[in-house]
Amino acid sequence: MIAQALLWGVLYALPLFVRSDFLLTIFIFTFIYGILAVTFDLIFGFTGQLSMFHPAVFGVSAYMTYLLASQYKLPFWVATVPSALTAVVLAVVVGSICFKFRLKTFYFAVVTLAFAEMIRLVVMNWNSLTNGTLGLVVSGKPTIYWPGSGVVAVRGPIAWYYLTLACLSVTVLICARCLRAWMGRCFGAIRLNEDLARTLGINVFRYKLLAFAIGNALASFAGGLYGYYTGYIDPGYLGINQSMEILAMVLLGGQGTLLGPIVGSFVLTGLPHAIDLRAEIRAILYGAILIFTILAMPRGIVGTLGAWKARRGP
Amino acid sequence: MALEVRELSKRFAGLVAVAAVSFTVRPGEILGVIGPNGSGKTTLLSMMAGLLPPTSGSVIWKGREIQALRPDIIAGLGVVKSFQNPQLFAELSVFDNVRVASHLALKRALGLRRGLELLGAARAVEKQLARRVSEVLALCNLDGAAGQLAGNLSYGEEKMLGIAMALMCEPELLLLDEPASGLGRDEIRNLEEVLVKLHAAGTTLCLVDHKIGFLRGLAHRVIALNHGEKIAEGAPESVLNDPAVVEAYLGTGHAHA
Repeated sequence: MIAQALLWGVLYALPLFVRSDFLLTIFIFTFIYGILAVTFDLIFGFTGQLSMFHPAVFGVSAYMTYLLASQYKLPFWVATVPSALTAVVLAVVVGSICFKFRLKTFYFAVVTLAFAEMIRLVVMNWNSLTNGTLGLVVSGKPTIYWPGSGVVAVRGPIAWYYLTLACLSVTVLICARCLRAWMGRCFGAIRLNEDLARTLGINVFRYKLLAFAIGNALASFAGGLYGYYTGYIDPGYLGINQSMEILAMVLLGGQGTLLGPIVGSFVLTGLPHAIDLRAEIRAILYGAILIFTILAMPRGIVGTLGAWKARRGP
Repeated sequence: MALEVRELSKRFAGLVAVAAVSFTVRPGEILGVIGPNGSGKTTLLSMMAGLLPPTSGSVIWKGREIQALRPDIIAGLGVVKSFQNPQLFAELSVFDNVRVASHLALKRALGLRRGLELLGAARAVEKQLARRVSEVLALCNLDGAAGQLAGNLSYGEEKMLGIAMALMCEPELLLLDEPASGLGRDEIRNLEEVLVKLHAAGTTLCLVDHKIGFLRGLAHRVIALNHGEKIAEGAPESVLNDPAVVEAYLGTGHAHA
């Protein structure tokens, strides 16, 4: 608990000491992917449903946020709302189909992947709207209200650092709130023993759908942020490799924890930047890390540390 | 009339597990269901709790047909079943196992207002439920093990935990599938005490067991099954002395009385 508060404190204070744009950039990517990884963990690590749908919501919301903002001259934040609602609608449609048919584990993963691929193909081929494989160049910046200076555009690494960190914090807070309350107990019951959960009066369908919808809705913000931060959106946002990357982050950091996915996101976004490697070698390294984690630390970095601390006593 | 089973049948491919069984569970009674292994007891109980769809027939609870409802809805209506082989959340503590089972109680207490609980409101209800969990654990003699992982319990404690979780659902009718099987003598005595307390508190019980001795002291009425058919019904002594029942037990070599 104290360690966690300290860690967040350090993250918020970091730009006061670290002036390196390079490091701040790594953290900005860590935070945006952290949002994806934490919300994925809500569905996977906490509720036990291996979803491959995250890239779809990530990509669709990136396109939607930018297109709405640019075509209707909406502020960034206003445009994120319909994007989040779209994510909820997509999640409810896909989730209802999967959960009604009681698709579990591998089957759930494959069907959500199929839906994600379907959406990717639509996005890729809807040239008039998305400019196809060429993608869109994002112009404009998110704006925030800053006391004293009014509405200002988010520019430069430090502003982006705090914007993305704040978004990640809110995401973690919302997830933590849900998990600590009765909802979290239902999610855990479903992950651990679905049949027992059912006989104890838990509406398994409803709570799976709830986890899926909350996770996807929050993940949609990562899409909007990522598009604006990188200044470029293409159908690669929706690719299956994104799912693999998010899964790797969660497994590495620690599934079923809120901190783990962020740690995993830091390692896996930081690593490629820290060591300059060719893409093929990087993929091999990813794979090796993943295999090592699953074999040596099935609970991930945070889970393993937690177990180690528990063994040593308070 | 609390629960009525009407002409309930279950067929698995060619095998008839339960054949047109009818009986009623009266409010406030302890009904025993006996029969040799494979006589359809567990299948019957699973159909009553909505875990298995019947091939034909109906289950009526308070005037409403429930055999086609989902198990979570049936549990919400007050009919709760515990499993023969204890089903647990092995990675959670004993306390948290029962805490999960407080879901229906929370739902009854707050309804849709439980959304407020996410914002930190309605803490009082949560606290009250946590106290209730402690009470249930004490009733089941599990208070000493509250902090242990459920996966580390002995078999007898696991079975008690299964019952504690069912209790936390605030059942009006509790269906227990062989609660005494695999238990030692002290554990059986403990179980009996708990069941007597429960019954005194107004819960209707339906106990399935093939150990006739355990039911003899507890049940008000007994139903005997053999090969999926009801072969006797009545007071425990008369059913246990019924020639058809004696034949079913001794004839198949499963007598434990």
